[in-house]
Amino acid sequence: MTALERAIARPDPVSDFGSRSPLHGLARRSVGFFDVLAQSVSAVAPSAAATTVVLLVAGVEPSATVPAVLLAGILSLFVAQTVSQFARRFAATGALYTYAVRGLGPVPGLAAGAAIIVGYAAIAMFALLGGAYYTSMLLGALWPAVHGPGAIAGTLLAEALLLVLVLVRGIRISSRVALVVEAVSVAIIAALLVALLVRMGPIDPSVLLPADGVSLATVGAGALVALTAFVGFESAATLGVEARTPLRTVPRAIAWTVLVSAVLYLLAAVTQVAGFAAIDGSIADSASPINELSAAFGLGGWGVLADVGIAASFLACAIGSATALTRVVFTMARDGVVPKAIGRTHRRWGTPTGALIVCLPVIVLVPLALVLAGVDIRAAMHVTIALGGAGYIVAYVLVCVAAPVFLRRIGELTVGGALMALFSAAALTAALAAFFIVDAAGGGAVVWLAVAVAMAATGAIAWRLRGGRRLPERIGTYDEPIATQVLGGVPRADQAAGGDTVRG
Amino acid sequence: MTPFVAERESAPAVPTLTARQPRAIHSALTVLECVAALGAGVTAREISDALKLPRATTYRLLNLLVEDEYLVRTPDLAGFALGAKVTQLAAVASPVRITTAARLVLAETRSALRGGVHLVLYDHGRVMVADADPDFPLSDELRLVREPARYALGRLAYLESGAHDDITRAAAADLARYGATRQLGENTPGTACVARPIRDVDGRLAAAIGFSGPLRRAQEPEEVLTVLRGAAERLAPLLT
Repeated sequence: MTALERAIARPDPVSDFGSRSPLHGLARRSVGFFDVLAQSVSAVAPSAAATTVVLLVAGVEPSATVPAVLLAGILSLFVAQTVSQFARRFAATGALYTYAVRGLGPVPGLAAGAAIIVGYAAIAMFALLGGAYYTSMLLGALWPAVHGPGAIAGTLLAEALLLVLVLVRGIRISSRVALVVEAVSVAIIAALLVALLVRMGPIDPSVLLPADGVSLATVGAGALVALTAFVGFESAATLGVEARTPLRTVPRAIAWTVLVSAVLYLLAAVTQVAGFAAIDGSIADSASPINELSAAFGLGGWGVLADVGIAASFLACAIGSATALTRVVFTMARDGVVPKAIGRTHRRWGTPTGALIVCLPVIVLVPLALVLAGVDIRAAMHVTIALGGAGYIVAYVLVCVAAPVFLRRIGELTVGGALMALFSAAALTAALAAFFIVDAAGGGAVVWLAVAVAMAATGAIAWRLRGGRRLPERIGTYDEPIATQVLGGVPRADQAAGGDTVRG
Repeated sequence: MTPFVAERESAPAVPTLTARQPRAIHSALTVLECVAALGAGVTAREISDALKLPRATTYRLLNLLVEDEYLVRTPDLAGFALGAKVTQLAAVASPVRITTAARLVLAETRSALRGGVHLVLYDHGRVMVADADPDFPLSDELRLVREPARYALGRLAYLESGAHDDITRAAAADLARYGATRQLGENTPGTACVARPIRDVDGRLAAAIGFSGPLRRAQEPEEVLTVLRGAAERLAPLLT
């Protein structure tokens, strides 16, 4: 009889595991691979970014657009691989926050948590603003009476209502809505780009490469702008509890999100660069390149369709970012970092209601107040996306530093994994520094806002730890296997007495 | 360990293997064997040293086995323990023996019903196929063991697992109405199943007799159930 046969026939009792997951209460193991993929794809919002961010990259240097997008895609893939080092080993709704805690300890972990909360919240606000902007623009074309801040505030409220509805009603509904909306928008944009390429005919490959005299630094500067188009790919990890077989689906969804986005961005970059070269126009001076190209190549009516796709993509992005945000806040409540009541879940729908009540008013009311206060919507969008992008990148840097430390602690560090993580951390830090320098040089407000937010976060963390007030011992909770999942599993003594059911 | 490999390769329902995979299965079973031998809490490094496998290969195998829940990580994330799912390897490997008297009842039931008649036993919520109909084989024996909620025979065990979802609600309604669970063409269109539980003297679920056949006969199950009820009543003292 082999050891395995003996173990199956007469299992030794194993009492290291609890009778229920510390993250119980969410709709456990209820969504499949495509819903998880939809979560991170919608948080990235590739169809919105394919048109808007590519334009910004082209603003740096048009001939560097395609290489810059490619470079940003490769760096994102490295970061995704590093994030997956964690996602493959344990399922955590806290995602980057929990990963950083597990690698670097509580204080850097809380810093990563604050950064990613700023990232998700700001991008959710940005997406609501963007959705309202495009939707009111489309409605305005149909009914000229619809215009001005009032119309934008109205569409914003309607979007917010839909957001609240799907988020409260459960992950299966919200992920499915995000999946359908995002699939439609990606399909529209991809179809339009392919149609444009077909109309254009053969492309001269030399226009896609950096022109003579364009330095590597310029390509790098373009790449850091392009990087903001990729952020959000890790948000699949926040569904660690709700995904079926999360240790397989989450890393897969993260990798596929980067690939899908990269392909769409490259398609958009090639189409726009080659398109403007073909019509001898300047992409950098164009306000709405896709619309202009559509008109130039006889696809005028399609521009409107693209706007529908972009509006849809923004809506999905708001759903995806808000989903991720609430899961992180929920995890912090379960960790005892924020009040326990925020960790409540809905009994039937398995949604983190405590976190929803805290988060949704903020991400709805801030953009609404900005619009009603008369702030230009484009300026509001610029500030929120820049702040959100900075939050994401800070969290990525911390997780990339945390990965090798964590892997070393559990004795599973490999040279390749360490190099990839440290290279990513260095490249991201450089990108962040360059981003702030460029913004400050342009007289931008973002860098000061980011500093203010960072100081507020530091203050909050210091306040939480004031007078040596200790954090709960087991901060960094993840979806631990429960005793019934273990051969010979006997619930840990500290939990067995409660007689909890294994509902989840 | 060889019996597992032999059984998996000879079982008809196992998905086809590509040329590289048998080696991977061998390595995976070696790793499971090693965790069983060294005990819960063993680390990746210890496994790699014990098996003299390269580190990176070991980590990859361990992560794959954790993804499939054949292994679980201990709460500190550094150690490994066998997952409850490894019992499924044994469930497929070791055939369950039943008495000749029970086989006779099954033979009579099969001649009374045109369709597949199968007998399963339950052990701690695990489904074990005791006697599958040789003329109408089970669609996927391994899957029945792995994903009981998808099958009428598995739903009886799934109901007892304490899960609450759409499947358990429908299954509980069927059980209350017919004294049996059903699966109505959800896996293969047009083919359905009806499963009648067999309980021991204390009322605990011990076994079940299942019928699989055309959807129509499960949608109006009375005719099938008359036969299954009688068979279940005669099987109960022979099995429990």
